[in-house]
Amino acid sequence: MGKLTNFKRSLWVFHASGGSCNACDIEIIAALTPRYDVERFGIKLVGSPRHADVLLVTGAIPRDFADKLRRIYEQMPDPKAVVVIGCCGTSGGVFYDSYNIAGPIDEIIPVDVYVPGCPPRPEAIIDGVVKAWLKIEKLEKELEGKKG
Amino acid sequence: MTWIESLTLNSPSGFWNPIVWLAFLIVFALIGYLIYSRGNRSYKPNTDQVKPFLSGNEVEDVEEIRVRAGDIYWGFIEALKGYYNALMRMHTGDVRDYILWYLGLGAVILFVLVGGV
Repeated sequence: MGKLTNFKRSLWVFHASGGSCNACDIEIIAALTPRYDVERFGIKLVGSPRHADVLLVTGAIPRDFADKLRRIYEQMPDPKAVVVIGCCGTSGGVFYDSYNIAGPIDEIIPVDVYVPGCPPRPEAIIDGVVKAWLKIEKLEKELEGKKG
Repeated sequence: MTWIESLTLNSPSGFWNPIVWLAFLIVFALIGYLIYSRGNRSYKPNTDQVKPFLSGNEVEDVEEIRVRAGDIYWGFIEALKGYYNALMRMHTGDVRDYILWYLGLGAVILFVLVGGV
């Protein structure tokens, strides 16, 4: 695993829940509680994708939610990364091939990190977010390279 | 009196000088430009990236969702639908139609007032 090099800013995260049973969502919240307390590293949940660096998506995505998820992804500023939390979002899970599911999340928006589990533990979620952070640092350098 | 002083307008509450105003304008424009230049240049105009966030829902055209002042009269318009429908058909927004109405009604009024004499 690479190293975070610049820590230029806090990492702000937006959480979109599709057809999740909420188990993954509760584990995301657990990562914010005093036991794990990711906010001490500057990782913070925000209320709008317009402010977010990373998009956390949970659950298989129902057809009605697919265009909303695309819009949320579009609204995030560049550079950005997407982390899928849990088996349902990764592969469809128990909803695989269901008539009302738009497909695994990577068929709807580009995904950078998969965190499997039903639900994954908060440590795994934190690890996924840190991987997304590395990806963003890489993208940021590329953007700076383009600017320069 | 210098030329700058000659441009100064004094009043009991202060003074006004276009050169001083221009100097302030330049300073504030520079500060504004500095803030602007530090902004994120990678944003994509004319995409969802610049639209407001509405829980992922599409932002409808403002014209479709706003409450217009004319909506206050909704009750009248609904109750007098027959009358308003006829009026709205006549209200085309074409000035030539209105002139035709003006001339036509003017002719009728003239006929009523003087036509019988």
